[in-house]
Amino acid sequence: MFMASPYIPNDPEEVRSQMLKSLGLSSVEELFVDIPEEVKLKRSLALPGPLSEVEVRKEVERILKKNRTVKELLCFLGAGVYRHYVPAAVDFVASRSEFLTSYTPYQAEVNQGMLQALFEYQSMICELTAMDVANSSMYDWASALGEAARMAARVTSRYEFVVPHYISPERYMVLRSYAEPAGIRIVEAPQDRETGRIDLERLKAIVSSKTAAVYIENPSYLGFVVDNADEVAEVVHDVGGLYVVGVDPTSLGVLKPPGDYGADIVIGEGQPLGNYMNFGGPLLGIFACRDDPRLVRQMPGRLIGVTTTVKDSDRGFCMVLQTREQHIRRERATSNICTNEALCALRAAVYMVLLGKNGFKELGELIATLTNYAIKLTSEVKGVKAPLFKAFHFKEFTVNLDGAGLKVSDVNKELLKLEIQGGKDLSNEYPELGQTALYCVTEEHTEADLRRLQRSLKLIVEGSG
Amino acid sequence: MKVDDVNIPDDLYYSREHEWARVEGEGVVRIGVTDYAQKMLHEIVFVNLPKEGVSVKQMEALGAVESVKAVSDVYSPVSGRVVAVNQELLNSPELINQDPYGKGWIALIQPDNLKDDLARLLTASQYADYVKRLLKEK
Amino acid sequence: MKGYTQARWPEPLIFELGRSGRSGVTLPKAEEAVKAIGDWRSLAPKNMLRAEPPDLPEVTEVEVVRHYVRLSQMSYGVDLGFYPLGSCTMKYNPKVCEALANLDQVHWIHPYQEEETVQGALELMYKLSSWLAEITGTDAVSLQPAAGAHGEFVGTLIMRAYHKLRGETRIEIIVPDSAHGTNPASAAMAGFKVVVVPTRGDGCIDMEALKSVLSNRTAGLMLTNPNTLGVFEKDIVEIAKMVHEQGGLLYYDGANLNAILGKARPGDMGFDIVHINLHKTFSTPHGGGGPGAGPIGVKKHLEEFLPVPLVRYDGKKYYLDYDLPHSIGKVRAFYGNFEVLVRAFAYILSMGAEGLRKASEVAVLNANYLARKVSRIEGLTVPYGGLVKHEFVASASKLKSATGVETKHVAKRLLDYGVHAPTVYFPLIVGEALMIEPTETEALEEIDRFAEALSSIVNEAREKREAVLNAPHSTSVGLLDEVKASHPKTLSLSWRMMRKRLKTLRG
Repeated sequence: MFMASPYIPNDPEEVRSQMLKSLGLSSVEELFVDIPEEVKLKRSLALPGPLSEVEVRKEVERILKKNRTVKELLCFLGAGVYRHYVPAAVDFVASRSEFLTSYTPYQAEVNQGMLQALFEYQSMICELTAMDVANSSMYDWASALGEAARMAARVTSRYEFVVPHYISPERYMVLRSYAEPAGIRIVEAPQDRETGRIDLERLKAIVSSKTAAVYIENPSYLGFVVDNADEVAEVVHDVGGLYVVGVDPTSLGVLKPPGDYGADIVIGEGQPLGNYMNFGGPLLGIFACRDDPRLVRQMPGRLIGVTTTVKDSDRGFCMVLQTREQHIRRERATSNICTNEALCALRAAVYMVLLGKNGFKELGELIATLTNYAIKLTSEVKGVKAPLFKAFHFKEFTVNLDGAGLKVSDVNKELLKLEIQGGKDLSNEYPELGQTALYCVTEEHTEADLRRLQRSLKLIVEGSG
Repeated sequence: MKVDDVNIPDDLYYSREHEWARVEGEGVVRIGVTDYAQKMLHEIVFVNLPKEGVSVKQMEALGAVESVKAVSDVYSPVSGRVVAVNQELLNSPELINQDPYGKGWIALIQPDNLKDDLARLLTASQYADYVKRLLKEK
Repeated sequence: MKGYTQARWPEPLIFELGRSGRSGVTLPKAEEAVKAIGDWRSLAPKNMLRAEPPDLPEVTEVEVVRHYVRLSQMSYGVDLGFYPLGSCTMKYNPKVCEALANLDQVHWIHPYQEEETVQGALELMYKLSSWLAEITGTDAVSLQPAAGAHGEFVGTLIMRAYHKLRGETRIEIIVPDSAHGTNPASAAMAGFKVVVVPTRGDGCIDMEALKSVLSNRTAGLMLTNPNTLGVFEKDIVEIAKMVHEQGGLLYYDGANLNAILGKARPGDMGFDIVHINLHKTFSTPHGGGGPGAGPIGVKKHLEEFLPVPLVRYDGKKYYLDYDLPHSIGKVRAFYGNFEVLVRAFAYILSMGAEGLRKASEVAVLNANYLARKVSRIEGLTVPYGGLVKHEFVASASKLKSATGVETKHVAKRLLDYGVHAPTVYFPLIVGEALMIEPTETEALEEIDRFAEALSSIVNEAREKREAVLNAPHSTSVGLLDEVKASHPKTLSLSWRMMRKRLKTLRG
C-alpha cells in the first residue's frame, strides 16, 4: 500500500497513462524490455519502508539518540576532527537552497553567487596561509596530503616524499594509498624526542636529488609547534625539492603562516572552520600553493578565477584551468576529483568572514591560553606528565600516565563513567611514548571544564592505589 | 596556398597532426602548429613548451597547446634535439592564433635524421588535399 | 514563457566590504584563572609567531548575511527549477532528510569516541551498508569514499590489490569511449594504463573491439549501465563472461543507477565492484560541488580488500573492524561522509523498495517522454533514441549546419527561460551533444515546459538569432570571458593575485 510519493509528481496512475499513451505504450514495463530477462530482478528489494514522514523522523531519531554527543560528555578528542563553535550565521547561509541544492557551477552565468563565494574562500585561505593560490576544496587533509605527494612528484619528476616521524596515522595510511600506485617512496624524517624539532642533520643526510618534497605538520599531530620549520625549508630547497606544510587553520591567527617560512604547498584540515564534527565526515581539505606556473598547473581540484563579461566588462567568476581536470584531461588529469566539499568550503568562508582579521587573532590567543592552562592543570596531577615534548603547544598536547602506572584505555573507561571522553590513546600508534593520550582543548572548553578534568584524573590516579 | 580560409604556406612541410616544419639556415628546423589547428582550437590560453635540450623522435609528443576546454598534444615533425623554445608564448599564447607560422612558432630543433623525416612528411599541396577532405567531412 | 529574471546585485567582493574594527561574531574571553598562568606568548618560539594578523575582512554579521543572501540569489539550485544535467541525477532533495542530518546526534559526535557512545551512528552505517548491498546485488559495502570518483579510486585500488595477491601483473583497465572522465582518471591514479574501446552504431560498446583488447594484461573493465548515451548495455552478461574468462574484474560506475533501482542489480549482471553516488541516486544535496558520498560494494571474493574500518555487528553491539589484512588501506581520514549518509538513510526509509522502484520507472518514463518530444524539434536529433533509460543525448548538429547556432548557445539561452542547461559536449562521441536527464522528481508540466523552451530557442535560432547567440540575457551577468579567465596575463585565482595584477598593470 503506497500513497503517492511526494517526490514523484508523475507517479499517479492518471499522469503515467497519459505519458505512456503519448509513447504508444500501455505499461511502464515496456520501457524496460531492453534489460535481458536473466538479469531482471524478479522480486522486490528486501528493504524496510516506505515510511511516512512522521515515521521516518521517529525511526531515525530513535537510532541516532543512541549517540552521546559532546554536549553531554565533556570531550577532549581532537586528532583530525575538532569541536569548535559554529556561529549561527554559518548554518543560516549554508542552508540557503540556492547554495545547498546547486550543482558544480559549469554554467557560470547563472551561478555567480556560489562562484564568488568559493573565490572568496580561496582568497581567505591564501591570506591565512600566506599562499597565492588555493583550490576550492579537497575531501580532507589526509587525501590532500596524498594529492600533494603526487603533485610534488609530477612537478619535480622525483619519487621520494619525506614525512615527519610524528604524523597522524590516518593521514599516513591515506598517503600510502595515493603514493604507492604513483611509484612514490615514503621516507621518514626523524624528530627530536625531547623537543619535537625536525633533526636537521639527519634530514640533510636523507634528502637528495631524488627528493620530490619534504612534508611537516605544524603544529604537529601531537600538538607541539615545530620551531625550526624555516630551516627545514632551506634543506629541501637546497636539493631542489618542494616544501609541503600541513596546518590547522585555527592556529594561523597567531602562528606564522607557512608561506612566510618557505612553503611551496600548504595543506590542512578546514573542518574547524565553521563545520561540525559529523562523526568524521564531511571534512574539508585545504590545498594551496605559490603562484608559480610550475605549481599552479599541476594543482588538483577546482579553481575559481575572476574575469569580466565579454560585452560589458562587468566582473564575473568562473572555473578556470579546467584542462587540468578529469572531465577534459581524463587519464592525464592532475587528479580524478570531481565532486569535492564545496558546501563545507562555503561554511568555512562564512566562518572566516565572521571572525575576520581580529577574530582569528582572538581565537588563536584564547586557544593558546587554554592549552597552556590545561597543560598546567593536567601536569599537576601526581603521576601524570604533560606534555611529553618540551615545546610550545597549540590546541593539543600529550598526556603520559606511565608515572601513575595506568593504561590510557583504563583511564578513559573510568573517565567515561564520570561523563568525560578522554584524549586519543596513542599507545598503539607510538609505543615508544608509553601510555600516552592526545588531549585537545578549544574555545568551547571553560575553566570549569578543565578543573573538572583535573579533579577526575586525580580521582582516578589516586583511586588506583 | 589556401583551402577555404585556411592558410597553407607553400614552403613548409606538414604532418597529419597539423604541425608544420620549416628548414632554416644551418639546418635547424622551426616547428609549430598550422592555421587549421589554431582554428580548430579557437583561442589558445596556454602552451606547454618542451624543455630546451630534450631529444625527440619524429611524431613523439613534445608539448601541448590548450584552449579553455581542450588540450591538443604537439607532435614533433622531425627527430632531433630541442635547441630553443618560443618563450613569448608563455605570456602571449594567442600568438599561435594570430600568426601560427611566424611569431607563433613553438620550438627550434636540431634534426638528426632530416632527409628521412622530411620524406615522411606532407608537402603543402598534399597537406592542402588532406585539409580539403577534413573540411568536407564536417 | 520567458519572464525569468535572476537577481542582479553588483555585489562587491567581501574584501571590498567592511571597516576597520568591525567584527562578525563574539568569542568568549579567557577567564581570570586561565589568564593567571601568564602570557602564552612568553612560552612560544618568537620565530613562529605571526607578525601581523591575517588580512581578512572586518565586517559585522549584518553585512555578512546580506552579502551571502545576495550571492545566493545569484545562484541556481534544483529547489528553484528544472536541472536536467545528464548523469548528475539532480533530483529533488526531501527536506525531512535535511532536518534529520541536522540533529545534534549527527553534528556533535567525534569519530574517536568510545564505541559504546556512538552506537547510533554505527547502527545507521551498518544498516545503510546492508541496504546498499541489497540494492546493488553486492555482498559487502564500504561507506568510506567521499565521492563517486573517490569510490572509483578505491575500486581500481581493489583491482590492483586483487591481482597482486594472485601474483599477476595486470596493467590495463578498459573503458568505453563514452565513459565519464573520472573513470580513466581514477584508473590512471591507481597506476593503470587506460585502453579505450569504441561505441557501436546502436549505442552499445563494440563487442569485437572489446574482445580484441581483452587479454591477460587486463585488470578490469569499467562500465556504467545504462551508459552515458542512456542506452542499456544489453550484452552485459556476455561482457561479464568475457572479462571474467580473461581473469579480469568488472567495475560498475554507479552514476546511472537511477535507471534501474528495483528493476535490475549490477551484482546480478556480473559486476564485481560497484560504486554508488549518494548525491545522485539517493538524493543528498549537491551543495554546489559536494559534499557527496561514493560508497563501494563488492562481491564476496573482494571483501578482504575493502578499505578499513568496516562496520560490523556482533549480535549485541556495533563496532569498527580494522582487521582486514589485505585491505587497500584508507583513502580518507575516519569512516565516511556521515552527515551525507544520514540523508541517504532517511531517503531509503522514506521510499522503501516500492518507492525506489517507482523512482526508476518514472525517471525512465520521463526521459523517454522528453526524448520523444525533443526528437520532434526541428534541428535537434536524438541519435540513440528508440528506447532510452533515465537519460538521453540530443544533438544540435543539424541546427548548427542550418543556422550557425550551436549547443553552447542553446545552453546559455535556456538559462533565460529559467531552467538550468543540460550537460553539454558530453559524451564526446556525439557532436553538439546535450545530455538530458529529467529525473523522476519533475512533473509532466515542467517537462513540457522544457521541451517548449527548446522548441522556442530553435525558432529563435532562425528568427531572432542575436538573442540566442548573445545569450544569456536574464542571468545576473552576461556571457563571461572564459579566455581572459584562463589567460596567463589575466589569470587571477585569489584576492592576492588580483591585487598583484593591478599593481603590474598600473606599472
